[in-house]
Amino acid sequence: MEVIIEEISRGHKLIGRHKFAQQTVSIGRGYHSDIILSDPHVCAEHLTIEFDGENWRIIDQDSINGCFLDEGKKPADGHIVRSGDIITLGKSQIRVVFPYHPVATSITLSPFENLINLAKHPVVLSVNILIFALLTGWIFYLNNPKEVNFTQLLVPAVGLSLIFAIWPAIVSLVSHLTKHDARIFTQLGICFIFYNLTWVSDFLEAFLQFNTSSASVLPTLSKLLPIVIAFCLFWLNGYIGFHLSKTRRIVIAASLTGLLFGGGFLVQLSKKPEFSIRPKFDSTLLTPDFLIAKSSTVEAFIEDSNKLFDKVEKKAKKDKE
Amino acid sequence: MKRFIGVWLIIISSIASAAEQAETLFKQLAPSLYQIRLIDKASGEKSSIGSGFQISGDGLIATNYHVVSSYARHPEKYRIEFLDNQGKKSTLTLESIDVINDLALVKREVQQPMAYFTISDSVPAKGEELFSLGNPHDLGMIVVPGTYNGLKKESFNDRIHFTGSVNSGMSGGPVVNKDAQVVGINVATSGNQIGFLVPHDKLIDLVNNYHQDNSLTIDQQMSKQLNEYQANLIDRLLKSDWQLKKLGQGIIPTIDVPFIRCWGESNADKSDALMMLAVANCSLEENTYITSDFFTGSLEMEFRYLQAKKLSNTKFYRLFQRQIARVMPGNKAGKDDVTEFQCQHDIVMPSHQLMTTKSIFCTRAYKDFDGLYDALYLSISVDRNDQALLSHFTLAGVSQKSAQAFTKQFMESVSWK
Repeated sequence: MEVIIEEISRGHKLIGRHKFAQQTVSIGRGYHSDIILSDPHVCAEHLTIEFDGENWRIIDQDSINGCFLDEGKKPADGHIVRSGDIITLGKSQIRVVFPYHPVATSITLSPFENLINLAKHPVVLSVNILIFALLTGWIFYLNNPKEVNFTQLLVPAVGLSLIFAIWPAIVSLVSHLTKHDARIFTQLGICFIFYNLTWVSDFLEAFLQFNTSSASVLPTLSKLLPIVIAFCLFWLNGYIGFHLSKTRRIVIAASLTGLLFGGGFLVQLSKKPEFSIRPKFDSTLLTPDFLIAKSSTVEAFIEDSNKLFDKVEKKAKKDKE
Repeated sequence: MKRFIGVWLIIISSIASAAEQAETLFKQLAPSLYQIRLIDKASGEKSSIGSGFQISGDGLIATNYHVVSSYARHPEKYRIEFLDNQGKKSTLTLESIDVINDLALVKREVQQPMAYFTISDSVPAKGEELFSLGNPHDLGMIVVPGTYNGLKKESFNDRIHFTGSVNSGMSGGPVVNKDAQVVGINVATSGNQIGFLVPHDKLIDLVNNYHQDNSLTIDQQMSKQLNEYQANLIDRLLKSDWQLKKLGQGIIPTIDVPFIRCWGESNADKSDALMMLAVANCSLEENTYITSDFFTGSLEMEFRYLQAKKLSNTKFYRLFQRQIARVMPGNKAGKDDVTEFQCQHDIVMPSHQLMTTKSIFCTRAYKDFDGLYDALYLSISVDRNDQALLSHFTLAGVSQKSAQAFTKQFMESVSWK
């Protein structure tokens, strides 16, 4: 009867896979073994797996460090193997499987995967990075009260693009280290697409803020958009870089989003003074071209202010108590 | 030559007589003059000093409100003490205040009727010689001769312009005519030889009110006075002529009253500037002192006209946005005095239909004075690509009604040419 022996890492990742048709398989550090392990904690002749016509049985060859079932302390010597058993020898692990051991159902090739792969297409990738760099430079130009020349814009544009490339690089590095496919260009492509989406959401927020009064909830709702974008980005980072279960991927993406926005929120909260004399209002201004809202009358504006007076009056009374 | 010597003699004799007069006056009045000190209870040391003078036989002493303001706001922390010309000290009680005219009445205990200052019943003539008494910088009681120069024109509250040195510490001291009658109270200085006095009639009013009704607490008196004052001021402003003036391509209002003065500035000399800027500022040149870190009663208006020169419209508005984010309130006030500002904003078009603006209105309430607020308004035109007009005002210590009426008038007055 055939037997399959898999060398696996501590994290149960597959290192090597061997199929044997003989009755005895020897495992050890010695070069005469059927499976040669390089772990120094493994003896030259460490164990054999023998078929007695009915069962496969583990025989410890009086090794120094012994062999155990799973990660546990239960000695494996004389154990009758069932398909899928994991045996620890020294600091290494092997998994013994019989033919026709059940395997997971195959994953269908999704059109979604093709869409993601589009992000690494050289044209798509470079266009996205270029858009990001141009927008960064443009915003730097807008915020600079003096006249600026091209070189002065180039430095922050290129600098910021490089800084923002660090995140996909880190994700790729981690997936590479955890024995996954690094897919650096896909990660880069996806990240820059989403960075550019945040510019769009920034503009949308400014547009709504400019065109609505303080009574409107729309600008507040639009503040959720960057959070959604960040979640999608982290989810895709996980999807591209790691084989994770659906729930796990959602949990990780949600935690990263929480860390990013929650952290930012905490920093803001810790910096907030107990009392501020500075009025806090929305100062968003866009050019007249983006003004689509209908104007209110002076009377309506004054009428609205009644609510403000009520609010501060109540606050003053409360503080007084 | 003879005539020359004659002139000299006249000058010398007049100086001698003024000095003599001052000396006699001082000797005669000294027992009714006091140094008023606020003693910090915890440390036992004086935290502020001023002058005061007795105005009745039974121990009523007049001084400035700002001399005893810390006590008025935190009576648990301080006590008021006087020091007389013989070096005697004793505690005073705070009886009544006039926060608008910066006056206060304190009282000492007296065993038998004492000498006191009489308050003049007439206004001095312009150019009349007056004598200011007080204790500058804790150096001892002095007398400063000076001249009455009428009431200050650029002031909503009456203030006498006195040509003579009024120094800090002399605050609350009396200013008398040559008959030793009080015609004013030292209150402020504006540098060399320019002093300001509270006219004596304000003191007469305060004393009369005090004798008629002294049931109100100090806080209630302050609240009532601030309320009446703001109502008078805003009423006067709204009834005055709002003159429309040109600022760049914009039209802005200035209020035609002597106590609001305007100043202007522009960057027309800077040829390399990215945008042309013209600024006009108008403000009430006085405010009401509550404590050293709480002022009210102020009014400021500011207008800025901007025109893009070498700029894209997007950048023009972007830079403008950064400018307006830095607006601050016009008066000093702290956590214990006011709430935080609450703001609203909207796109507004006044009834003249000439301008569309993004308007922002903020207000905060006073914690100790019911129904009083600070208001802050800021508005930016958003209907021209390369021109913008910013209009802004702050009002301190006004009622909701006053604030809203003023805001309405102001908003309707700003437009394009």
